[in-house]
Amino acid sequence: MYLPKFTLERPASSEEAATLLMVKENAGLVAGGTELFPRMKYGLSTPDVLVSLKGLRPSKPETTGEGILVLDANLSLTAVNESAEIRRSAPLLAMAAGKVATREIRNMGTLGGNLCQETRCLYYNQSHTFQFKAPCFKRGGTQCYFIPKGNKCWAVYMSDTSPALLCLDARMTLVGGKGEREIGVETLYTHDPLHPFSLTPYEIVTKVMIPQKQGPMGYGFAKFSIRGGLEFAAVNVAVLLEGEDDFSTCSRARIAVGAVSDSPQRALEVEALLNGSSLSDDLIHEASQKISRSLKIVPHHGYSKAFLAECLKSQTREALTDAAKMISDRK
Amino acid sequence: MGTTHRKQLLSLSVNGEIYELAVECQETLLEVLRDRLGLTGTKEGCGTGECGSCTVLLDGEPILACLMLALDCENKEIETIEGLARGGRLTQIQESFLDKGGVQCGFCTPGMVMASTALLKRNPNPNREDVMESLEGHLCRCTGYNKIMESVLDAAKSCSEKG
Repeated sequence: MYLPKFTLERPASSEEAATLLMVKENAGLVAGGTELFPRMKYGLSTPDVLVSLKGLRPSKPETTGEGILVLDANLSLTAVNESAEIRRSAPLLAMAAGKVATREIRNMGTLGGNLCQETRCLYYNQSHTFQFKAPCFKRGGTQCYFIPKGNKCWAVYMSDTSPALLCLDARMTLVGGKGEREIGVETLYTHDPLHPFSLTPYEIVTKVMIPQKQGPMGYGFAKFSIRGGLEFAAVNVAVLLEGEDDFSTCSRARIAVGAVSDSPQRALEVEALLNGSSLSDDLIHEASQKISRSLKIVPHHGYSKAFLAECLKSQTREALTDAAKMISDRK
Repeated sequence: MGTTHRKQLLSLSVNGEIYELAVECQETLLEVLRDRLGLTGTKEGCGTGECGSCTVLLDGEPILACLMLALDCENKEIETIEGLARGGRLTQIQESFLDKGGVQCGFCTPGMVMASTALLKRNPNPNREDVMESLEGHLCRCTGYNKIMESVLDAAKSCSEKG
């Protein structure tokens, strides 16, 4: 399969890249390319100019004086997974990055690219030469193949790192347009599968900042997909538990679920159940049974809603058990 | 007026040899390796990053040549399956693939061998899980995964025995 023709721009800085995006007509941004290039090969994205961030050398992860871990968005997912600094300060993110796709793709894909990946759909992410020729909402049409009577797009956002960053209260720096600004990860999403991000077309994610937490912590990340790393997640769950000094009570729980809707979601109801409670097996069972109720679950890629809800229960149980064990092991 | 798509000069280091070429922006590393340099050992399976057939090593780490622009490989060291055997002598991994029946139709083999080469460099004593993780992105349509797994573990064992 061949890529369509385009002109490649290789800027020397993120600022220059943002300027190029603004001045060039029909320009697109590429970081690792593992999500964009397949779409371009299928003819779903046809930028005339590609602004590549590959030439920019990512700076090393470092912790500031205020205890904030600062990550370059251009770090490869392998680097995020293997960095000693990230494993020490934000092990949940390192774990999530290590579960993205396969080693080859993690070597190419970047943290910023993983966060800013397009929403996906079984009927959209494929060649349209032979079937589904009439455009769906995502290709500028007015129909949905997935829910034919629907009047909107139902594509799903499938990043593995974003639920982890949501649990970690991460913030990100954006460059471009009107200069630099900082937003929380939760405000990155518009909840509209057609235009999933609140970024302007000229903005680039340059840094991800993670505040440090104190006290005993436990974390877990579980991901389900039938073919492992060969496909995107059917559902993923990130869990971050802050324990009290007795190593059994949870003082603050964070649970984020990804890959089942247009953006990652916090399971607020279950978090409230865990906050202030002792982390027993019964509580974990109750929490995992309740998780599917409060969340929006969109069936996708051949998985039914009921199947995904059951999957979500078992994945949550797995992640919560790991996290609770980590806290009790610190005794 | 249409855009002029100018070729750009590229100096590519493949298996220790330097090639100077003029390539178009959209040419992938895979196209350049196969169509320009004639290094057809690297295979194109799906072309969209799902099968791992086109795996080559870029600065020692496995990447997918079908999703890598050739222009992004400047100043990097590329290793392909053709560069493994030295003076007609196969590497231990290649020998083990032959001995243990890891090669079936052979289409996925170059990718599997490159990924295993990177694995053994990173971790000379891998266990089954390590091998599984590093070959996770490689599809074998002959479905001979057990033999491939045996081959990689055998190569690791032979390498450590030889010291």
